[in-house]
Amino acid sequence: MKNSVDENFELNEVQTLEGHTDRVWSLAWKPAPGIDGVPAVLASCSGDRTVRIWEQSPATGCFQCKAVLEDTHTRTVRSCAWSPSGKFLATSSFDATTAIWEDAGGDFSCVATLEGHENEVKSVSWNASGSLLATCGRDKSVWIWEVLPHNEFECVSVLQGHTQDVKMVQWHPSVNILISCSYDNSIKVWAEDGDSDDWHCVQTLNQSNSGHTSTVWALSFNASGDKMVTCSDDLTIKIWGCDIIRMQSGDGYAPWMHISTLSGYHDRTIFSIHWSREGIICSGAADDAIRFFTESKDDLVDGPSYKLIYKKEKAHEMDINAVQWSSMENNRLASASDDGTIKIWEFISAPGKKMHL
Amino acid sequence: MDIFESSLNLEESHLREGYDEGYADGLISGKEEGQQVGLKTGFETGEELGFYRGCVGVWSSAIRADPNFMSARIQKTIKQMDELLQNYAILEPENEAVSDAMDALRLKFKVISASLNLKLEYKGYPKSSDAAGDIGF
Repeated sequence: MKNSVDENFELNEVQTLEGHTDRVWSLAWKPAPGIDGVPAVLASCSGDRTVRIWEQSPATGCFQCKAVLEDTHTRTVRSCAWSPSGKFLATSSFDATTAIWEDAGGDFSCVATLEGHENEVKSVSWNASGSLLATCGRDKSVWIWEVLPHNEFECVSVLQGHTQDVKMVQWHPSVNILISCSYDNSIKVWAEDGDSDDWHCVQTLNQSNSGHTSTVWALSFNASGDKMVTCSDDLTIKIWGCDIIRMQSGDGYAPWMHISTLSGYHDRTIFSIHWSREGIICSGAADDAIRFFTESKDDLVDGPSYKLIYKKEKAHEMDINAVQWSSMENNRLASASDDGTIKIWEFISAPGKKMHL
Repeated sequence: MDIFESSLNLEESHLREGYDEGYADGLISGKEEGQQVGLKTGFETGEELGFYRGCVGVWSSAIRADPNFMSARIQKTIKQMDELLQNYAILEPENEAVSDAMDALRLKFKVISASLNLKLEYKGYPKSSDAAGDIGF
């Protein structure tokens, strides 16, 4: 078990948010509004069928529950995502629907319900411009919806290809490509042919091309969008890269290539992974621990390599389902667990303790 | 040597006779089974295709009556579904592309139903197992 840690870092527990009466599955920080003085907002969703909105008090710095979105989903709410403008919150549920909530100054109302999946919806994601929404679920399909005026949503495409439950979908931060990961151990990349609503799978990353050998639970892009990290039940984290210039130029599809596999750091399933704007990868796992990785600046013989820089054991009492870096503060992180709580953390370098090995 | 030939080949000739008999029987029972499977599959396929044709017919009428009722995208998808139905090789049972065509039809139907907010599902001819499941409290 690799446990080499860099003694320059500290993870401080800032606050524990209690309120949910069942496991917390997912978290989403409201996007930074781009103006000062607006408090941080976090959405959480749970097996208790509700979504909670937590807002940081400007006076005390503490997070308080400002709203409980209930009486809408009839089963576990599995995933939530804010639209890029922060005006809408999409919530996906085991009840096979995705609800769209509008935030009217703290008052949330459900303005649309997307139906179509045959059973549990596992994940929801907005594209960078907020014009498209993607969902995926246990029915093995990925749905793409277009956002129309007056809170109308239209189904653009239903993508089939995965052979098992699809765990997560994420849009690329700058290009309109969609990536999904599944219980079938593969990661699929979906793109549109021209502008014709003709979406299809342009690449599959599986065991045959350095992919995972068990369920892939989550994926996250780095800030520049030229790399992504995936985590799996196979106890590894994999880094993938693509030619982002070519991808953005629209000059045909640029495939993702395997860069690195981080193994030996986890001994339980890794459920969640998130790449911060500053390049720190955070993982949340079934062993109740949170780990931090970053690119190693040592001799780049075969390309970039990554190292573990910090590990927080027993961050929660039970499995960690989600970890998310804040959209506003670079060193703030939230984690959600089967124990029904959410924790806010501060990840900082301890100054003056620099040790060179 | 000729007197022994027939008895030496006895096993072989018995095998050949048995094989020929079995083959002939197989041809007959195979044809019967094939006819039953074909009838069943044909009925099921025809019923599903008919359901989709009916839906496309109703939707197309609605569009003619009020073209603004559905967005351009949904209208395009309905047209694509109509084309798939026209091109479905009904009279070519050994055409392997038919299962892909049926999958494509089912997918288009899902997309259109979701967009129109229709809670419509093709359930197929009721099976005896379905009837038992209908009793719920």
